[in-house]
Amino acid sequence: MPITINLDILLQEKGMTGKELAEIVGITEANLSIFRSGKAKAVRFSTLEAICVAMDCQPGDILQFSE
Amino acid sequence: MKTTQVLQLMKVVSWFVFIGFCIEVGAILVTTTISIFHNPEAAENLYLGLNLSNLYNFSTQNYIYVISFIIAIAASKAYLFWLVIKMLNKVNVTHPFTLDVSKIISKIAYLALSTGILAIVAASYSKGLWKNGATFDLDWGSQEFLFMAGILYVFAFIFKRGVELQEENDLTI
Repeated sequence: MPITINLDILLQEKGMTGKELAEIVGITEANLSIFRSGKAKAVRFSTLEAICVAMDCQPGDILQFSE
Repeated sequence: MKTTQVLQLMKVVSWFVFIGFCIEVGAILVTTTISIFHNPEAAENLYLGLNLSNLYNFSTQNYIYVISFIIAIAASKAYLFWLVIKMLNKVNVTHPFTLDVSKIISKIAYLALSTGILAIVAASYSKGLWKNGATFDLDWGSQEFLFMAGILYVFAFIFKRGVELQEENDLTI
């Protein structure tokens, strides 16, 4: 998939765990895992916004397009 | 009535119909065997007033062929209802669109089509026998099966799309 998810790197940088992020964002760990592994088919703007708020970052920091 | 109750009721009805068709197949097999090997008078009432004594007197070979068609169609109907029971067992109201159910619906559609084709062949064979002088009255119901197969095929196609949409929805974060 040409779009990669950089959430693992961001979590490491912020010293946060997936469980903590899932709690803040209000989604299940299983769903966050689907997102982190790149298996998700779509992301809601509301989820992306919540992740950006929690991680204090821009959507471009989480999603990256590469050919 | 709640959806789960309706499904439960449909399951019970399907079991009754399935058992009914199994009994029909078994009864016709038994009475046919009796009519051929023991008492030809059994052909007068094979199952629920099914009278093929004229055909039996006309030709035993054709009698066996027509009975084979009747048994094959009744067995197909029984198998069709077995698939309906299997499908109803797999239906989950919270996540109704699953690949398993979709496959079973497609299978039912193809089975209905096959039964319809078999009924057409049986009806043409019967017509041929009538032209040759055999007199017996049978309704093969081929049109109904073809109509049902058509509707089920469309339904299976829509259901398949439903499975895709549900999968997409499940994988939306």
